[in-house]
Amino acid sequence: MTTTEIEPQLQPAGPLHKTREKMGRRFAYGFLILSITPILIGYTWLVIATISTRTEGLLPRNAQGGIGGFTLRNWDFVTDSAIWNAMLNSLLIAVAMVIGVGIASTAGGYALSRMKFAGRKTFLSMTLVLHAFKAEMLLIAIFFVLRFLGDIPVIGNYIGFNTVGGVALVMIALELPLGIWLMKGFFDNLPWDMERAALIDGASRFRVWWQIMLPQVRPGLAALSLFTFIAGWNAYLVPFTFTVGTKVANMPVFLNQLISDTAPTNWNAVAAVGLFQMIPLLIFFIFTQELLLNIYAGGSKGT
Amino acid sequence: MAQSLDKDTLARAAIGAPGPQRGTLGRRVRNTFTAYGFLGPAMGLVLFFFVIPGILLVVLSLTDLSSANFSDPWTFIGLDNFERLFADPFFPKILRNTVFYVFTTLIFFNLGLALVLALVTTNIPRRSGFFFRLIWLLPRLTPSVVYILMWKRIGQADPFGIYNQLFPEFLGASGGNLFLGGSPWTFVILTNGFVGASFGMIIFTSALESIPKDLITAAKVDGANVWRIIRDIKLPMIKWPLLFIATYQTLSLLTSFEYILLLTEGGPGLFTTEVWALTAYKRAFASYFGNSQWAFGATWAIVLVTVALLLAVIYVKLFKFNELIEEPRIENL
Amino acid sequence: MRVEIENLSKSWDGVIGADNITIDIPDGDMVAFLGPSGCGKTTTLLMVAGIYKPTGGTISFDGRVVNEVAPKDRGIGMVFQSYALYPHMSVFGNISYPLRLQKLDKGDIKQKVQKVADMMGIGDLLDRKIAQLSGGQQQRVSLGRALVKEPQLLLFDEPLSNLDARLRLTMRGEIKRLQKDLGITSIYVTHDQIEAMTMADRIAVMSKGVLQAYDVPEALYDRPKTLFVAGFVGNPPMNFFDVEIMSTNGEFRARSEAIDLVIPRDRAEKAAAVKGKITMGLRPEDVTFADESSSAGAGLTLTGVAEVVEPLGREDLVGVSINGVEMRVLVDKTKGVRVGNNITLVVNTSKLQLFDPETEQSLLWA
Repeated sequence: MTTTEIEPQLQPAGPLHKTREKMGRRFAYGFLILSITPILIGYTWLVIATISTRTEGLLPRNAQGGIGGFTLRNWDFVTDSAIWNAMLNSLLIAVAMVIGVGIASTAGGYALSRMKFAGRKTFLSMTLVLHAFKAEMLLIAIFFVLRFLGDIPVIGNYIGFNTVGGVALVMIALELPLGIWLMKGFFDNLPWDMERAALIDGASRFRVWWQIMLPQVRPGLAALSLFTFIAGWNAYLVPFTFTVGTKVANMPVFLNQLISDTAPTNWNAVAAVGLFQMIPLLIFFIFTQELLLNIYAGGSKGT
Repeated sequence: MAQSLDKDTLARAAIGAPGPQRGTLGRRVRNTFTAYGFLGPAMGLVLFFFVIPGILLVVLSLTDLSSANFSDPWTFIGLDNFERLFADPFFPKILRNTVFYVFTTLIFFNLGLALVLALVTTNIPRRSGFFFRLIWLLPRLTPSVVYILMWKRIGQADPFGIYNQLFPEFLGASGGNLFLGGSPWTFVILTNGFVGASFGMIIFTSALESIPKDLITAAKVDGANVWRIIRDIKLPMIKWPLLFIATYQTLSLLTSFEYILLLTEGGPGLFTTEVWALTAYKRAFASYFGNSQWAFGATWAIVLVTVALLLAVIYVKLFKFNELIEEPRIENL
Repeated sequence: MRVEIENLSKSWDGVIGADNITIDIPDGDMVAFLGPSGCGKTTTLLMVAGIYKPTGGTISFDGRVVNEVAPKDRGIGMVFQSYALYPHMSVFGNISYPLRLQKLDKGDIKQKVQKVADMMGIGDLLDRKIAQLSGGQQQRVSLGRALVKEPQLLLFDEPLSNLDARLRLTMRGEIKRLQKDLGITSIYVTHDQIEAMTMADRIAVMSKGVLQAYDVPEALYDRPKTLFVAGFVGNPPMNFFDVEIMSTNGEFRARSEAIDLVIPRDRAEKAAAVKGKITMGLRPEDVTFADESSSAGAGLTLTGVAEVVEPLGREDLVGVSINGVEMRVLVDKTKGVRVGNNITLVVNTSKLQLFDPETEQSLLWA
């Protein structure tokens, strides 16, 4: 009865409504395409630069100033052992971070989310504060902590200043508040009854965490690991600050040395190294899109 | 209550079970112990890389430690470093730069553009929206060194710069270097904003997508157009994420400097794009005349850390964080 | 196993979950905790399970106080509303989990799991993933997991609420039969009074953390001790009227502006102590439809107008307005009552209940 009353009103509004919707959509796409242009231009240049002798703007130039001059000379660095050393360092840092952040965050996030203990509120607030607060300001003091750690006999050689282990430790600590916060969010979403059932079935709290709860937060842990790996792989400031020379330099530090050392900078060779170190990231980018975009879904809850 | 406790005690005594003291207190200690076992790795890292450095910063700021005298015993010089900091001729400029940088980037990118992107990408078909958000995530995933390399190339002087080539003599294009010449701030804010916007975008998107569809339908039936739906339904519904991102990103911008360090190093010239966090870092590590002024850098850092912590406390209070904490619904072990 | 709950209390920062609850469950009995959501029934159950820690009082199993005993050492099995199955394990994995934690021999585990699964009628589903099962099958797995460790006490937390109506009926019967066959003491939490009435040997009715009544089902129905119990037990719910009891010519009458009923002496005398208004309760089925031929005495009938007629299938639930006071009655549908009809009702006054409106306690069954 009511529909027959509304329909005549809607009918004439139809075409106008449609055009407006169409315009709105065009406007939306126009805006979005415009917004991503700088990003696309940056990447386009990166790819073109790696396979040409030199570029002017986005155009590859040959020796005569015409368009052309394609070359693979920029990729000669792959035979340089220094870059493989840097790559190994990057990989070590990234893997150590995935393991360290993974363990500390899943254990800590679980305790903060599911356990009752003295000091829980303090810990939760502290995690939140540290999570929002980029700890790069503490690097000056961390420098002294690392030097102190380096003085410890035997293990000091692995975790002190100017060691891959030391850099990895600092990076793990800096990523930790985010990790704990995210994992806590994922644990928060799990049903209590499942955990109660496991306790009644005879599991200890540790076993509940390991056998029952961890399998449920696997997607969250995967997303966190992915982001941690990327953070470790890309790390620049911490390795740059806490390493000297090329022995323990990771890829970004190596690349930046390339920019500042060679004067004038060979931009095309630098671009090639840059693209080279992005290969694992681009693989992740292509194959784990959903995970990448859902990373904060757990952590944003309750805020 | 008292009576029941008595009964409890009696019953235990009768069957030889542990008394209330050993039982309840012992269990509470054990519960806490187990929890701290889980928290152990995290606590160790927090202690070594947050708590101790925090204290060290304070101590350092009271000394005159630098790379020139680091092998000597530490000399405490009271508040001299703080006097020096506030008397620094560039102190007002650095402060102005910091405020300008934080709020401009926040309003135009980390909050503003993030919101617009979330609203627009959730208003077009799902796949397309997903695609654009994914592209927007790319800068965040790109190593900072490579990312800044691209921006440098965009802003370079003729004939290498991409912007100068695409838009000759348009919007500030001068043929010269843009990030170290014509418009360094534009580039500083763009480079940071293109990374910063994606965080808010993701949070807002998930908040917008969790608004019940019925609500939007109801508003449409009531005759609301797209703008009214955004204003009257969507924005009020994502009020908390908006506030969260605003405070979170303020803190984040205030204490980060990596992209500025890589792009302009605070230049061109004297302190043109230098922000507080960068000053602290440069004083301590970028050796002026081969001398790293650790103590003076620590002084800049501790002032900023204090400000940031105060903001963080306000932010925890603002979100009534303590009320949001859910009590665990399992109490025993 | 005999379960004694004594003066059990639970509160969180001043919010009371359960207040001074005392329930004694004989060995082998099935007791239902019945009440609306938030009444404290699940809180009490979780304290019995050892998940929540009581703030006061004791829980004893066979005379042994278990307040400080961990859930895994209590010899209990529990079935949850959400089934609480482990989604990453198979059916076998779920049912065998308690046994694997006890580090039993692999062959033993297999045998026991198969036996329980067969008993539950899911013996051929052991290799399935949980997500591949229907709701009813999942609840059977959950029940199997609870039973496989041969518990001495079974706890049910609204186990049938997520099932559809038909399945609920089947499972109700099965759980009851199983419980009787195995003779395991059980606590069954539900908000569904039909479930409680049909399954339980005794029912504990709870409201706002307080135990309202603990008795056999018939007693709760026929002799409700509080206004809450009277209103909560029975469907459709009891009608309540504010009346004054008067004694005229040796007859007791319950009177208000709308009604005037003669009530039995034995019931009225118990109410005489209360001055002023009291609350009278009358179940919808304790009223019969009077046609012209009926010869009910004066003072036993009420007349009114049918305002709502809800066909329930076998009967019609009729909302009658008696001089402005609403009353629901169940009427044989062959009477064909229509909205607007004038109706005369004969009241079975021997079934009516009387309550003190202040204390909400029954005046009849102290």
